[in-house]
This record gives sequence, C-alpha cells and structure tokens, in this order.
Amino acid sequence: MKKRILSVLVGAVMCLGLCGCGGGESNSNVNGSVDNSGANSTNNNSSADGDSSTPDNNGGETDWDYIVNKGKLVVGITYNVPMNYQDDSGELIGFETEFTKAVCEKLGVEPDFQVIEWTKKEFELNAKTIDLVWNGLTVTDERKENMLFSKSYLKNKQATVVKAENADKYPTTAEMGSITIAVEGGSAGEDVIKNDEALKGCTKVSMEAQKDALLEVKTGQADACIIDFTMAKAATAEGTDFADLKVLENIQNTDEEYAIGARLGDTETIAKINAAIDELAAEGKLLEIAKKYNLDDALLIGA
Amino acid sequence: MSFWDVTRQLADGFGITLLIFGITLAASLPLGLIITFGSMSKIPPIKWITKVFVWIIRGTPLMLQIILIFYGPGLLNWDVKLPRLTAVLIAFVINYSCYFSEIYRGGIESISKGQYEAGQVLGMTKTQIFFKIVLFQVVKRIVPPMGNEIITLVKDTSLARVIAVAELVKAAENIISVKGIIWPLFYVGAFYLLFSALLTMLLNFAEKKMNYYSG
Repeated sequence: MKKRILSVLVGAVMCLGLCGCGGGESNSNVNGSVDNSGANSTNNNSSADGDSSTPDNNGGETDWDYIVNKGKLVVGITYNVPMNYQDDSGELIGFETEFTKAVCEKLGVEPDFQVIEWTKKEFELNAKTIDLVWNGLTVTDERKENMLFSKSYLKNKQATVVKAENADKYPTTAEMGSITIAVEGGSAGEDVIKNDEALKGCTKVSMEAQKDALLEVKTGQADACIIDFTMAKAATAEGTDFADLKVLENIQNTDEEYAIGARLGDTETIAKINAAIDELAAEGKLLEIAKKYNLDDALLIGA
Repeated sequence: MSFWDVTRQLADGFGITLLIFGITLAASLPLGLIITFGSMSKIPPIKWITKVFVWIIRGTPLMLQIILIFYGPGLLNWDVKLPRLTAVLIAFVINYSCYFSEIYRGGIESISKGQYEAGQVLGMTKTQIFFKIVLFQVVKRIVPPMGNEIITLVKDTSLARVIAVAELVKAAENIISVKGIIWPLFYVGAFYLLFSALLTMLLNFAEKKMNYYSG
C-alpha cells in the first residue's frame, strides 16, 4: 500500500515537471514572436551586420542579431544519407551539408553543425540550442504551428519499405490495412498513416529514428515501414544490411517538400536565407550540389 | 566498412563514455557524503530539505533529469547555455550523489554504538570518532553495494544520447544511419563487458585489501 501511494506521488511530481516545461515553451514562443514583429517594422532593410544603432522598441535583440552576435549559425542535423553524413575519413558531407555551407557563405556567418535527436528538434529550437533545423525537413501543417519554414527547395515523398519477398503482397495500401507499420515518431511518415483511410486498421509503431523503423522491418517485428524516399533508397542500396528490403514503387504517397525550419517569428533570418537560396539557384550552384548527390530530379528551384 | 574502421569509430564514443563515467564517479563520491551529512543532520530543516531532494532525484528518471537540465534554461529564456556534455555531467553527478548518499547512510547507521562509546572513552571528539574509527569501517561495509551502483553507472552513461551526446551506443547508431550496417550495435556490448570485467576485478581487489578490518 505504501509503495502504491509513493508511486502515485512520484507520478504527480513528474506531471508537474512536464507541465512546467510546456509552460516555458509556449512562453518563449510568444516572447520570440513579439520581439521580432516589433523589430521588423523598425529595421526592415538593416544590413547583415545587425547595427546596434537601430532603435529597438522591445529592448531585446532580434533572432538574427542573436545569431550574428554569436558569429555562427547552429544547424540541427542527424546523420542520414544523402543529406548529412560522414565520409570514410569522418568528414561531414552531403547535399544539405554543402547547401548549408553555401548559404552561410552568402550570409557571412559560420555554420556549426550540431547532431540532435530528431524527435526533440522543436525542443532544441525553442531552447536556442540550435538556430535552424536543416536536414531534409518535410513541411507539414502540424510543424508549421511550431516552426517557421523557408521556401521549399526539394521534392520529397514518403516511401513504403517491406521485405523483398513480401513486395508482391501489397499492390495497394488497401492490402496493408491490418499489418504492423513502423514509422519515426513525429515524422511525415506518421502523418501518412493518420491521413490514409485504408491504413486506419494497421498497428503503428513509433520509433526514435528512421533507421530504427528499417530495423523493425528487417527483423520482422513490423511488416512495413514508411520513411523518406531519399533515405529509403540510399539505405536499402546494395552492400548495406538492409539490401534485402524493397521500396514499394507502386505505392505512391502524396508529394511533399523539404524546407528549412526556424523558430516561430524568426522572419528576418528566414528572409535572409530565402534571398540567399534564390541567389544560389540563379548562379546554378544549387543544381551543381544537387547533381553531386543525384538529387537534381527532385530540385524545386534553380533546376 | 572494415572491423577496424568500426572499432576506431566506436573507440571515440567509448572515450566519451569513459569521460562521463570517470567524472561522475570522482565528483559523486565526495558529494554523496555531504548529502549523507545533510540527511542525517540533527537540524530538522536541513534534514528534511535534503530528504525531499534525494526523493525527487531518486524518484524521477535520469533521462528526464538530463533533458530538464539541458533544455530547461533555454525554454525558460534564461541566458545560460550549457554545453551538451556539461549538462549530462551535472545530471549524472547529482543523480549518483543521491544514490551514493543513501548507501553511505546505510553504512554509517550499521556501525554499532559501542564503537562511538569506545571513542568517547578514549577522549576523542565527535569528528575524530567519525573520521578515525567509523569511516573506515563504513568504507569496508559499503564496497559491495557501491560496486553495484558503479557497474550500473557504466551502462547508464548510454542515456547521454537523449541529448545527442555521441557516447558508445550513439556512435554505433550513427554507423547504422550512415552505413546501413547493424552489427556494430551489438559489438558495443563487448566494450561494456570488458570494462565492467575490469571494474569487477578492481572491486574484488578492494574488498580483499580491506579484509583486515574483520568484524
């Protein structure tokens, strides 16, 4: 009995702790957006050096000033091919890596790549432990409530991956109604299950990362997984442990777009990034990077 | 990716694991004793504040504490930025100090009254009795339960990956993400096993060394 009372108490304390975090999060959002809307009306055309002479109604610095003062732009990434990954010498390469570096060069800031846990990306943004999420981030309506997106630059879709020997079992999603499907928690793949009537009856397993969803399928714990198409193609290629899995080309999930995510209200940074992207697209630099990683077909601008 | 490439990458992660282990142990051993003094204090406010603190720390998951310490300040808009590894170390040191303090308390309370009385007869002060008579007997008695916690600590270091600190398990997960090969994840087990074997030997050695305090 004593033990039970104690466990209820411990539960209550944890709930309190969580409520506290939630409150803090929404607070910082409100502050952030107020700061920025005020600042934007006063220094719409301020240059990148964030001149301190500009009167600031709110007495606080804008998000962009904050980044410039630090001198570096902290970009939240996870290791995934072909976006951000290490080559054999341990150096970070990938489409997003080079794209980030090119944009930062235009903006005059130093990129600082920070590996994060993908499920905590909103946490990281709001706690200012990163400034941007730039890692093949799919634009969704739900994410728009928590972060501000740049213009979309790459086409993406969700891919359904199954064991190669089961590939013929699923000509359409109608046959997948009662199976177990693994997705990454909070990913666009999870939304596919939510939005597809035919998948209403399936058992969904939410994993920490897309690679864990692949592992579920490989080991037979789940029948299928729904992950990003670019990741699925690269991960199931010859020579990997997932080569016995197959991407179902016949199941086409709705098209999506990749964009860069910033803190809500950080309009100044996003405006600068959008301008830099346009410049890179006009110079043909964006296409050059995309070609290097076989993504030129998916490019939305500058192709 | 060859066996040696994998081993080299995992060794980097193992370095972080050892760092978390070493600093946590070095800092929590003395800090735990201070907390013990607090929870055994004769002054009620100190005693109860310490007890509530120990209850909160032992009663919530270490994973939650790491997340709170790292993201908490930023979410509250404070101007403090803890590096990831520092946040992990703070969480681990506080957590393990609380567990150690309870082991110390059990050890101290197990020493019979006669030992204190003997000290008093010899004309020693309270402090002298504690440091010259009681403490060494306590150390001997708590080696087995401390050994338990220390070996748990080796494996708990893998919790650091919730805020993306690239310790051993995270290092293996990165290899899966980038190279699509699975076996390194199980290979990390060998690192943990070897290290805990070494610790077990050290702890056994310590126990034998202290045999002369029989009784």
